[in-house]
Amino acid sequence: MKKQVIIFQLNDEPVEIYVDPAESLLTVLRDRLGLYGTKAGCSKGECGACTVLLDDRAVNSCLVPVGKVQGCKVETIENLSRGGKVHPIQEEFVDKGAVQCGFCTPGMVLSAYALLKENPQPARDQIKMAISGNLCRCSGYKQIEEAILSAAKKLARQGNSIT
Amino acid sequence: MADLKTVGTSVPRKDAIEKVTGSAEFIEDRYMGPMLYAKMKKSTVAHGKIKNIDTTRALKHPGVKAVLTGKEYPNRIGLYLIDRTFLAVDKVRFWGEPVAVVAAVTEKAAAEAVDLIEVEYEELPGVFDPREGMKPDAPIIHEDLANYEIVPIFYPEKGTNIANHFKVRKGDIDKGFAEADKIIERDYYVPQMQHVPIETHKAAVQWSLDGKLTVWSTAQSPNVVRQLLAKSLDMPMHKIRVISSYIGGGFGCKAGASIEGLLVPIAQKFPGHIVRIVFNREEDMQGTFTRQALYSKLKTGVKKDGRITALQYEMVWDGGAYTEYGVNIVRAAGYSSTGAYDIPNVKTDSYCVYTNNSIGGPVRGFGMCEMQWGIERQLEEIARELGMDPLEVRLINGMKKGSTTASGQVIHDLDYDKCLKVVADKIGWGKKEESRDGKYRGKGIAGLVKCPAQPSNAASSAMIRINEDGTAHVMIGATEMGQGMLTAISQIASEALHIPVDKIDIKVPDTDFTPYEWQSVGSRITYTCGTSVKRAAEDALGQIYRVAADLLETPQEDLSFDGKKVFSAKNPDLTATIREVADSCKKCTGEGIAGPIIGRGSFVPTNMTNLDPETGQGNPGLFYCFGATGVEVEVDPETGVVKILQLACSIDAGKAVNPQLCTAQLHGGTIMGLSTALYEEVRFDKGIMLNRNFTDYKIATIDNTPHMDSFIVETPETNGPYGARGIGEQPMIGVAPAIANAVSDALGVDFNTFPLTPERVWQAIKNKK
Amino acid sequence: MLSYDYVKCNDLRLACQELEEGEQVYLLAGGTDLIVGMRGGKFSAKTLVDIKDVPELKVLEEDDRGITVGAAVTLNEAVVFAPIRDNVPILAEGCHSVGSYSIRNRATMAGNICNASPAADTAAPLYCLDALVNIKSSEGSRSMPIKDFFAGPGKTALNKGELVQSILIPRPYPEGKGVYLKASRTGSVDLATVGVAVQRWGEEVKIAIGAVAATPVRAFSVEKAINEKGEKNYADAARLVHDDISPITDLRGSREYRYHMVEVLVRRGLEQTLGV
Repeated sequence: MKKQVIIFQLNDEPVEIYVDPAESLLTVLRDRLGLYGTKAGCSKGECGACTVLLDDRAVNSCLVPVGKVQGCKVETIENLSRGGKVHPIQEEFVDKGAVQCGFCTPGMVLSAYALLKENPQPARDQIKMAISGNLCRCSGYKQIEEAILSAAKKLARQGNSIT
Repeated sequence: MADLKTVGTSVPRKDAIEKVTGSAEFIEDRYMGPMLYAKMKKSTVAHGKIKNIDTTRALKHPGVKAVLTGKEYPNRIGLYLIDRTFLAVDKVRFWGEPVAVVAAVTEKAAAEAVDLIEVEYEELPGVFDPREGMKPDAPIIHEDLANYEIVPIFYPEKGTNIANHFKVRKGDIDKGFAEADKIIERDYYVPQMQHVPIETHKAAVQWSLDGKLTVWSTAQSPNVVRQLLAKSLDMPMHKIRVISSYIGGGFGCKAGASIEGLLVPIAQKFPGHIVRIVFNREEDMQGTFTRQALYSKLKTGVKKDGRITALQYEMVWDGGAYTEYGVNIVRAAGYSSTGAYDIPNVKTDSYCVYTNNSIGGPVRGFGMCEMQWGIERQLEEIARELGMDPLEVRLINGMKKGSTTASGQVIHDLDYDKCLKVVADKIGWGKKEESRDGKYRGKGIAGLVKCPAQPSNAASSAMIRINEDGTAHVMIGATEMGQGMLTAISQIASEALHIPVDKIDIKVPDTDFTPYEWQSVGSRITYTCGTSVKRAAEDALGQIYRVAADLLETPQEDLSFDGKKVFSAKNPDLTATIREVADSCKKCTGEGIAGPIIGRGSFVPTNMTNLDPETGQGNPGLFYCFGATGVEVEVDPETGVVKILQLACSIDAGKAVNPQLCTAQLHGGTIMGLSTALYEEVRFDKGIMLNRNFTDYKIATIDNTPHMDSFIVETPETNGPYGARGIGEQPMIGVAPAIANAVSDALGVDFNTFPLTPERVWQAIKNKK
Repeated sequence: MLSYDYVKCNDLRLACQELEEGEQVYLLAGGTDLIVGMRGGKFSAKTLVDIKDVPELKVLEEDDRGITVGAAVTLNEAVVFAPIRDNVPILAEGCHSVGSYSIRNRATMAGNICNASPAADTAAPLYCLDALVNIKSSEGSRSMPIKDFFAGPGKTALNKGELVQSILIPRPYPEGKGVYLKASRTGSVDLATVGVAVQRWGEEVKIAIGAVAATPVRAFSVEKAINEKGEKNYADAARLVHDDISPITDLRGSREYRYHMVEVLVRRGLEQTLGV
């Protein structure tokens, strides 16, 4: 309950906040930092809507006390289209019709992003593994799988693996 | 319709970029102003009298601004049957029913204060099975049922728990059974399920000192929220503004109105503040609509040649504690009770029964999944009894042009045969695969049909504003919850208006600015809203031609509009830009002709009627959408695990306005159906919902999603916009019976219920032995 | 909305001290069970001590004694650690079965066993490998066999002031194949209805089962039939497992189905590890 100064790298910029370290990263991102792209779906780490990258790995931000990100690197959905350009993963989500209600979409895109960072040429079962924790009630997942596959190909063609 | 430009093409979703970048605004996604956070105190008994509510300690808790109980706020609400209050008054009828609401300056303070409220109950005997609830000696859940206000197309039975008894009497049922060579009779059961959209229910309310109420809600139907609040609060409609931003999935659970009104009295105490409630996952599962469980008894009479002569269907629905919406599901299932089949003699009794389980309500399919489960399973048994091919039995009895439904409505635009045949072909129907590695393979097929279950006066309207540069704004009251409505509606507008779809802007509704739409439910929007938009576009286009003709002094018939300018086909010198048209003066005299162009369009069905109270005969269907599902499974008889090898679905969309979005709905609906077929079941223990989270209410993940083939059949709907009809709910309906039919085929065991969990399949195999 | 004191601790000794002196102090590694448990009212913690960055707990190494998995090592780190994959793949399978990929990016093996669910997916493999739990406190260190660590549902053998420093998979490693077979409702991200680990050790076999008793259990009756009596009929051997387990009925499965599934999976495990 004692507030602390937490300093971390958020979307490539340094951030310093004075906050109860017990507060979840999810609520800090949304309610204190105004990054509403990260969604709350279950608060139990079971739906994946709140997925962000913590030191390059996909995590459920609802389960991360913000104290844990001290000195770490956090990336949210807002970072992918920085500089006014939609990321190739996002382009493929649009192109393959992988978006419906859109509530799971930021988390899905970030799980895909984390996957492609780690494994630029994933097989289908690796894609499935990477997003098995992201629930989607609208799509039936197939278009999402296709979007990630084709984003991997597109990135490879463009020769710019995600760094 | 060969020369369509936009309708029938897969233009990109209007909302896709916003959604992939995380900038799409859902209700909770912005700073709204000074906030108060609301939390509910919930009942700990399923049925009981409220003896006392002590809010003293809660009111003293730091940060708490208000605590409200049902006594102070007994206003009633309901869509068809006004049986609900926002907070329980005097008694509670289900476990988890809100009995008080706290508003505080932080969500944490509100939650803490909720724990400080003490409620004393006198527990009453409960009803947890609607069949028990129908018995004369059952505890009565709504003592005042006879006095509730109700739309007069529903038939509650006074002094009982029966909130609606809907009857169909078509042909001569006794004669039908007398003609039959075989009679098959069986009981079926479909348990409750939950929608679980990834976004839970949320609402925020603001009261301003001039008496204006603003509501932000995840509601599928802002106009219905406004209408029901106006009635419940006795307020004029122009003083209520309802905004539905993007909705993170609806599937029916966000239809009607419920949580918004909970906040109004608090907002009135703190003008200028925004009072917000956000349901957590558990509250969302337990406190909002569930799909009503169905206990049914189905009896069919059939000739040796496979022709069904009679169908008798008794359906007992678990309406839950409140049936304000559920009564209409029971009605819809009743008037559709022959499924996709033309059966001359029908007797159906469909009962909506109050219980002390969670509130029953609309879910994708609106009674059709549950009701057609019985039909599509029984067709399998008929085929087996007669030694016929189940596909053949479906083709023989399936509806064709000129067929009549259970309610006697004649159907015109359909190709059900084709829907069945494409999926059958795809899964290699008739070719039995050998079992391998001790696993059994089987194939199953099921058909489906659904019409929108809307009242005959459910209307739509649209406005189109033409800008000076030839771009346009389409204004409608439908909501976007993933179905792709914004895109499809823009395409219809574009087609009728000749303005390219990327020059058309369209937004989610705000009742202060967007015209009336009844509800975004029932797979109706493409048809109803689409028709209004088409009419609005035609109206705008007509104005453009009229003004241009006057301006250019040339006959209207010679003019064409390319979206930017109007020109004469005969004289290329005669052109006027849209700006000149919109803001025009006669060249010679300077007299004005017309101001900016605004098109308007409205729609209300003209092909629907009320139904006869005794026979259920009449025309309840705006349109009927048919389809089919085909499945091949492999079952491990030792573990009971069902693996889906092939999954094919078809839908007769009339005209797919946007094939990519149409396919997305087909896939999504089919996987939702698969998920309910294999995994989903709400479990209750005396009204307590046991699996109210994703740990124990499992929905399909990507791991559970097989390859899918989908087919869009296009038999134009005569009165649909460009031949289109709605398809959002339908893909889900046939999946559970198709899978069960396939598992039955594999194992030679029958299922009268689902989900086909590994344990249930194993149990069925064991019982057979 | 959880309310507790969050304390970051990078020093093992201080962490032990916090545990010993504080009241309702819990250690936070991945937090994937703990935070969920607190939200659900299963734990009420006054203080969480975040030990994720304690250097001694981040150890993931192989030496003469075997493989040491520090308490702060995530399941995904363990899954890809070559000595685990090469020598005890059954453990990698168990780790891989926990939650979703993103959960495994945070969750730890130590957390999985400290939560002491009888259904813990890493437990049954650890039982088959005779893993040792290295325990640390201000008083010193001790280790105990994994089977003694589980004391009941949600209960471990840890005393106040003690924490799990690491888990040791001791040498010699098993010779022969091992499999972790899990039955669940969806076959995707789900808790085990039952989890069966079968590990071949040369000509012998060790079998452990999760979600069928208050703690994970070894199937000694089956092991005895195979290892001592030379039973070659695996179906007969598997049937004996009923004597080793006492499952309950819950939302994930009935007692009856659990009995059945354990028997099936033990038989399949025997076939897969010892050969048909």
